[in-house]
Amino acid sequence: MSITDSQQRQLREWLAAVARHDAEAFRSLYNATSSKLFGFALRILARREWAEEALQESFISIWNSAGTYQFEFAAPMTWMAAIVRNKALDILRRAGDSMQAAADGFDPEILSALESPDPTPIEALQTSSSAKALARCLALLEATHRQAIVLAFYHELSYSDAARRMHIPIGTVKTWIRRGLEQLRRCMNGLEHA
Amino acid sequence: MNPRHLRENAGLREKLAAEYVLGTLRGRARRRLETWMGDEPLLRQAIAEWRERLYRLAELGAAVQPSAQVWNRIEKTLELQGRRNTPRRILWRRLIESLHVWRGPGITSTVLAGLLAAVLVTRQAAPPISAATQLAVLLDERTGPALLVSADAGQRLLTVRVLARLRVAPDRSLELWAVPRQGAPRSLGLLASEGTTKLPLPEDAAPLQAASLAVSLEPEGGSPIRNAPSGPILYKGAWAGT
Repeated sequence: MSITDSQQRQLREWLAAVARHDAEAFRSLYNATSSKLFGFALRILARREWAEEALQESFISIWNSAGTYQFEFAAPMTWMAAIVRNKALDILRRAGDSMQAAADGFDPEILSALESPDPTPIEALQTSSSAKALARCLALLEATHRQAIVLAFYHELSYSDAARRMHIPIGTVKTWIRRGLEQLRRCMNGLEHA
Repeated sequence: MNPRHLRENAGLREKLAAEYVLGTLRGRARRRLETWMGDEPLLRQAIAEWRERLYRLAELGAAVQPSAQVWNRIEKTLELQGRRNTPRRILWRRLIESLHVWRGPGITSTVLAGLLAAVLVTRQAAPPISAATQLAVLLDERTGPALLVSADAGQRLLTVRVLARLRVAPDRSLELWAVPRQGAPRSLGLLASEGTTKLPLPEDAAPLQAASLAVSLEPEGGSPIRNAPSGPILYKGAWAGT
């Protein structure tokens, strides 16, 4: 299912109830977000059983720390996704080098939407308008810049890791990522204020 | 570079905030940024905005249904079945509210333990506090009482109430630890920096027998190290009467 904008308020209400340890609200929150978050964990970890472990640990953490959630600092999905990313990266670190990470973090459908000169595939994505804004802006980046940013995000790579992974000099990858991020910021601010 | 550069140079601020959220900012530079965060609202805001931008990646991709076992395990771990949704207002809350009157810097833990004892005695006319309830006041070394912890062994519930204003950067977490006289500390969960946090009290008696309780400052989501705080200890204390 997709997380539409009108659901954000509902998610906030559930999180507030979870902070009071309301088990029913927790179940509703899980039902509404677990498949999105599980897909995200899978893109980081590739292995299903590890992604399930990450999801399980994340929701336990959400239950225990919902009281620390401050809606003025983060959208509910941002806060939960940050927890999922941390847990997934923990698992990735524990697994060490034995784990071959997923290719570049994008599903083929998303990748082809980003690379299409036609905006229709992005608009057709089942996701929130803010995620579409990110997709539109990612689509405008040089493919190499985009790849470096997404690779670093999904695998928590340092500049030297990313350089090694992409077989390019570290100076190049720094330039790509920094330019890409700056362009992303301008583009997303532009869309927001449009 | 110092915090003033970040205040005056929006470009630099954006660049560091972006690399911080992305994860490419490492080592000393990362830690330095974290120490500035508490005092630099513009930096905090830039980081929050970058989170909103980059974490949209989580929503760019197929949703995949996890197996039903995941929920079953969560439910079992947190003992959700049969849980009451509105925890009843228990005596100790009133007790803390009355403690508020006395709180302030300079109160030592001994004085506070005395106050607790006095409150417990004078409140006997009210519904008696459960014999299974234990209380601990956690202190900030410089400013005095910061948190009040109560453990209800019957309901298997830990309740932590913030007594003072705690300054915690939005991407940091406070983690509560039971510290035994011997052996590894044990995490009891993450705390809200204001209001009240309720945590499940683990089944065994270890947390209640812990020599002391401590709260550490951790990266968001808690200590990356198993069974040990990774950040500084901000508050500590012991169960009253132990």
